[in-house]
Amino acid sequence: MAVRQGVDGVGGEADPVALAGGPPVSLRVDRISKSFYGVAAVDDVSVELHGGEIHGLLGENGAGKSTLCSMLVGLYRPDSGRIVLDGDEVHLRSPDDAAALGIGMVYQHFRLVESFTVAENIMLGRGTAGGRRARRAVEEQVDALASEYGLAVHPGAPVWQLSVGERQRVEILKQLSRGARVLILDEPTAVLAPHEADRLFDAVRLMVDKGHAVVLVSHKMQEILGHTDRVTVLRAGRHAGTGATASLTPAALNTMMFGNDLAGTDTTEGHTAQVPGEPVLTVSGLTVTGDHGRPAVDDVSLTVRRREIVGIAGVAGNGQRELHETIAGLRSPATGTVTTAALAYVPEDRLGTGLAPGLPIEHNLALRSFRREPHARRGVLRHRAMRETATALVDAFDVRGARDGMPVSFMSGGNLQKAILARELSEAHDVLVAAAPTRGLDIAAAEAVRRHLRSERDEGRGVLLFSEDLGEVLELSDRILVMFQGRLVGEFDRGSVDLDQVGLLMTGAAE
Amino acid sequence: MNDSVLVLSIASALVAGTPILLAALGEIITERAGVMNLGVEGMMLIGAVVGFWCGVSTGSLTLSLVVGGLAGAALSLVHAVLAITLRVNQTVSGLSLVILGSGLSAFLGAAGETSLLERANGVDVDPLLPAALRDLPVVGPILFGHDVVVYVTVLLVAVAGRVLYRSAPGLSLRAVGEDPAAADAAGLHVVRMRYLATAIGGFGAGVGGAYLVIAVLGTWQTGMTAGAGWIAVALVILAGWRPWLALVGAYAFGALRGLGFTLQIAQVSIPSDFLTMIPFIAAYIVVVAVSASPTRARKVAAPAALGVPYHREER
Amino acid sequence: MTSRLVVTPRAKPSMTVRAGVPFVALLVALGLGAVILGLTGAAPLTVYRTMFDASLNGARAIERTLTYATPLILTGLAAAVAFRMKAYNIGAEGQLFLGAIAASGLALQLPAGTPAVLMVGAMLLGGALAGALWAGFAAVPRAFLGTDEIITTLMLNFVALALMNYLIFGSFSFWRDPTRPVPQGNTIPDSAAMPVISGRLHVGFAIAVALAVLLWWVLRNTTFGFRVRTIGDSPRAARYAGIGVPFATLAVLAISGALAGVAGAIEVSGVTNRLDPKSLAIELGYTGIVIAAVARLNPLGVVPVAIFLAAIATAGGSMQSIGVRVEVVVMMQGLIFLSVTAGEFFVTNRIGLRPAGPPEPAVTAAAADALEGAS
Repeated sequence: MAVRQGVDGVGGEADPVALAGGPPVSLRVDRISKSFYGVAAVDDVSVELHGGEIHGLLGENGAGKSTLCSMLVGLYRPDSGRIVLDGDEVHLRSPDDAAALGIGMVYQHFRLVESFTVAENIMLGRGTAGGRRARRAVEEQVDALASEYGLAVHPGAPVWQLSVGERQRVEILKQLSRGARVLILDEPTAVLAPHEADRLFDAVRLMVDKGHAVVLVSHKMQEILGHTDRVTVLRAGRHAGTGATASLTPAALNTMMFGNDLAGTDTTEGHTAQVPGEPVLTVSGLTVTGDHGRPAVDDVSLTVRRREIVGIAGVAGNGQRELHETIAGLRSPATGTVTTAALAYVPEDRLGTGLAPGLPIEHNLALRSFRREPHARRGVLRHRAMRETATALVDAFDVRGARDGMPVSFMSGGNLQKAILARELSEAHDVLVAAAPTRGLDIAAAEAVRRHLRSERDEGRGVLLFSEDLGEVLELSDRILVMFQGRLVGEFDRGSVDLDQVGLLMTGAAE
Repeated sequence: MNDSVLVLSIASALVAGTPILLAALGEIITERAGVMNLGVEGMMLIGAVVGFWCGVSTGSLTLSLVVGGLAGAALSLVHAVLAITLRVNQTVSGLSLVILGSGLSAFLGAAGETSLLERANGVDVDPLLPAALRDLPVVGPILFGHDVVVYVTVLLVAVAGRVLYRSAPGLSLRAVGEDPAAADAAGLHVVRMRYLATAIGGFGAGVGGAYLVIAVLGTWQTGMTAGAGWIAVALVILAGWRPWLALVGAYAFGALRGLGFTLQIAQVSIPSDFLTMIPFIAAYIVVVAVSASPTRARKVAAPAALGVPYHREER
Repeated sequence: MTSRLVVTPRAKPSMTVRAGVPFVALLVALGLGAVILGLTGAAPLTVYRTMFDASLNGARAIERTLTYATPLILTGLAAAVAFRMKAYNIGAEGQLFLGAIAASGLALQLPAGTPAVLMVGAMLLGGALAGALWAGFAAVPRAFLGTDEIITTLMLNFVALALMNYLIFGSFSFWRDPTRPVPQGNTIPDSAAMPVISGRLHVGFAIAVALAVLLWWVLRNTTFGFRVRTIGDSPRAARYAGIGVPFATLAVLAISGALAGVAGAIEVSGVTNRLDPKSLAIELGYTGIVIAAVARLNPLGVVPVAIFLAAIATAGGSMQSIGVRVEVVVMMQGLIFLSVTAGEFFVTNRIGLRPAGPPEPAVTAAAADALEGAS
């Protein structure tokens, strides 16, 4: 049995650290499989985890990590295979079953009722009374847990007022307060700034020291290497390997994740410095009121010129959305101006803003051009021309899975993004605003999107890139702006980025 | 003094408002769980005809109201199956329910129309409180002169308010209506709770219908709710899904409905059709004014997942 | 492992499914109706047989049915166009009343010698305008303040009904026949009566069908239709595409109201020949909404659905002869609506026993995406 060989020397089975009053938890997944529509999402996977360890679950998007975890918390039922908890096979029919057995999960998209307070969210579904006294008891419990694990949060605050990091803490506290012994964290750092992530891992380390088992789901290898005791790698739904983290090299993990084909692809290729041209997008003194009536964008000024990619780094929810929506004309500014040359826009939510989900591809690809020749003449649509355009764009941008008349909502995320790019880039434009353009895409699709961004710049247009993935911003951008609480708080040139400084600025810790 | 037009009309407002309040209260529960049931009018009619039939058969007010409520709940379950399980458009399903309810109630109500008429006054709906209280000046008729249902309904409003905001089941119910995915993740049974909330709504409408026919009108007539169910639906929105405000609104509607009668006695000549319009115009103005107000009070209060079917991605 | 039901969305329902499911749903509704009829002591087969004879057997019966279907087609279209854009106009009822008030008012005010074409044309236009304006009371707040149109259109229905009642029962307006002691609408001149196609069937039916075709064509083949469909599917995507949502909302609700108003005008001109609240306030507006839903908001589908519903409704009168209440037909309508609405689930979803059948490529991609979406 692999034992942790990390910094503070807490053992696995050899030196169990028990939760109060019981033996250390152990959870075994035994040859589990799950398929959707006949396609195996998880195929014959076995994993073991133990109290006192952080177990990394590594794999690229679509490797089956989420499906595996969903089975562990009773959201999906396995087609075959067993889940064994502390030596007994368990049948999890709902998240409730899993919670009762001490298995809890913190989802990437938080499951919190926004209009409720922290305490109300934590009370939810626990079968406690709801009166004032019960509420106070919960608040006290939250406070106690929060200080025990260093997860400070105000129990009486409504969730919609909290930052992303605080919401994550609420989710963790919710699971801990329900007695979770096995805690699954699904891509927990995707939305956090570097130092917030460090704080999270401190808390996680405290949990395993007290005997919890923590599963850290991630597609970031550095994170897995830096913070786990053991790691299991999934590739295309199959078990690609398990081992003690300390005994694994990045190269070995890379091979497990991608097989031998893709290992070692250099994603930073093709960046050549260019001299920026005239401005194509100018934002000056822009203030935008957010959905809750408070300024979400606060006196922002920026310029994007031809032949440059300007990246906006920042933790999600710091006004990026309001900023790019205002630039795209979807919101109106409270004060300030946006001056833009012909604009192409890749919005954050593909289905809903980027595409009309229930309408077919030929309709969606014509969204920007339906008024003009050849798609319409004197107010009458020309269906054949629209279909021809669609066919041409689908070919040119390698959009797959589209069928005549079928709603685009049935297409995969990568293909939806390609469809949006196809439409936006085929319109005459001088500047491209792209918001989280690779979120949730698999490696190949994400790389295709990045290639498009680079070639936009190389063809002499300006690009404004919003991304929560700091690595992506650093990789693509010629200039990097850091956004925090609606303001631009830092600017770096490609050559002179101070990573620590960016991290601190992203969370306002620099001041 | 107690016979003055004003006192009598205020007193009658409480009685006239009670069936609307019962239905609105039920619909608040339903909508708080995220289910929009526009079929209140149909459920009230079914509750009315079944409750009335039960009333003339047994003479028991309690039994009539309960049976009427159960009939409304039974009809609401049709909507529950369509809206919750089959996830069809809730507006369409609710409207179909109105059509089914009005057709079915008219069909059932016709079965023994004459016998219903003969025994219409057989149900005991006497005032609850002793004459000493009822005879107090002014407050007597207004506050103490009513039958038990009026008081129980006020009690139910208090209970509903307390349960919604100060109890675990209320918290769960609101969570299901605000964010069913979060509620599901917290281990709540979203579908089960929505079914239950829909049935409670149907029960409220059914009781309201039964009370309307037995205590307020006294006879069954085809389509006798005359829009009371629709008013209840509007009232839920006007009250911002809050029970106490629904009570205020229901009594206000009751007062406006009774106003024609009052003015007639007072020999003020306003055509009765205009008086009929007043509550609807008032509701229209309130809805528009609320949406125009910068605070957007209505938007804040509406359950975030109202009318949105929930489907866990289990395949 | 025991097999269990699995529900998977259909990417593109086949024609067989789209036509077959409503048919099965109809049979289910007839079956349920039979049970209720049986329980209340009527003979279901006799009832259905009588219904068929009364509304579909013979030229007279068919004329009657198509005449009855005319306003239902129009209110169905009114709902279909609005619901397409997710503007839930449930005010066709009141808009129809306003159309009837305006049309009868014009007929009584214009010189009786006006040529029939002009007279009827003026009534139709007036009805359309009145219906559109009445819808405007809901459309303007919705477009500019975001006011929930379900509630405003609903409230306006009751105001319109009271207004119509006032004109006939509550006052001595010129709509009311002054010669009769019992309140009744004044009869419109002969030149205001809709020309007849055959027997009782008037030209209004042809107008309704023509409007259905026109609306279908506009929604499908014009940039305006493109806008409506885009807004209906995703207002945000529409706004990003530069489509003016408030203007489209006003336009669509005005069209919707106009269609309902025309329904009222045609009823006055072709059937009642006077402003007759009793025969107008029979929930034609509400029924139209459900007709539109059953027709999947397709204007061409509205026509057959409305005719079918009219066939059931017109049978009401014949029920008395076999000792069954008229209201049985309303009950049957409700059952059919609910059953067909429920059937919609089986059109958009495939129900099967696990393991599911061979995957379709497109759906597989959706499944793969859903996995990541669930993370």
